Amino acid sequence: MTPRPVPAESTITALAGHQFPGGHYKVEHWENFLLTGCTGAQLLPAGMVHPVALFHVPILGAGTSIAQMFALGQAESDLSIMIESYDWEMFAPLREEVTYAISGAVKSACRCSNEAGQLYDRIEFCFEISDAGVLTARSTITWHYTRNTL
Amino acid sequence: MKVRAGDPIPPWVMEAVSAERMCTMAAILRDPNPLHWDREAVAALPLGLGAHTINQGPLGLGYIINMLHDWAGPGTIRRIRMTFPQVVLDGDRVVASGRVTAVREQDGGQLASCEVWLEREGSGRLLDGTASVFISGAES
Repeated sequence: MTPRPVPAESTITALAGHQFPGGHYKVEHWENFLLTGCTGAQLLPAGMVHPVALFHVPILGAGTSIAQMFALGQAESDLSIMIESYDWEMFAPLREEVTYAISGAVKSACRCSNEAGQLYDRIEFCFEISDAGVLTARSTITWHYTRNTL
Repeated sequence: MKVRAGDPIPPWVMEAVSAERMCTMAAILRDPNPLHWDREAVAALPLGLGAHTINQGPLGLGYIINMLHDWAGPGTIRRIRMTFPQVVLDGDRVVASGRVTAVREQDGGQLASCEVWLEREGSGRLLDGTASVFISGAES
């Protein structure tokens, strides 16, 4: 595979503060049913959404997508992203059929190198989910955009 | 329930991670990454994983959430932070485990800080993290 040019460090660091459009998301029953089943669990009581939704609901609700987040950091390919961490704060359970307001931004972006001296870009995304102005959950996603390692 | 630092959390077992569930998850997430649904793409990587699909990170995290729900009840997790030192593959038997590391009284109950992880026998920790869980109705 031909190595792709590595984006300029300044291009990556300039991503800090980038705001996603923001928007709304409602988890319908069918989606919670399938999502919960994927984890191997039974549906939770009282229309509670399985917390695993805290990955994709903030992303899609903020008006972006996994593919757009890959592109934002100039990922070399879909295979080049490594997860550093997911950090989910839950102030109240998500519920089916509730429309949540969602905002999201790039919290930090920097160039790093691993122990082998290989470059990667570390991008931290932060999304907030609110119901009627009250913060319901916060999701922080930290990915490594590896460069010329695959 | 009253918990103390050092208490183990009863493990939760996924007997066989399902490639079909990864496909469903990829569709729900709008996740274009072929690692989750194309065994050939994974086999072509210089990682020696063979012809498998790689479980989505959030799904492995979901197994740990299931363990915490079975222990403390739905809606009790206040925060969970997870790292992903190794991948989970289709067909894997994985076990979510944890232990309480600290406890403080809060809002008439206990807030338990926990170490949580997901293991595959012989492979060590695949996911490794921490969680804060509210334990209601605890007597002080």
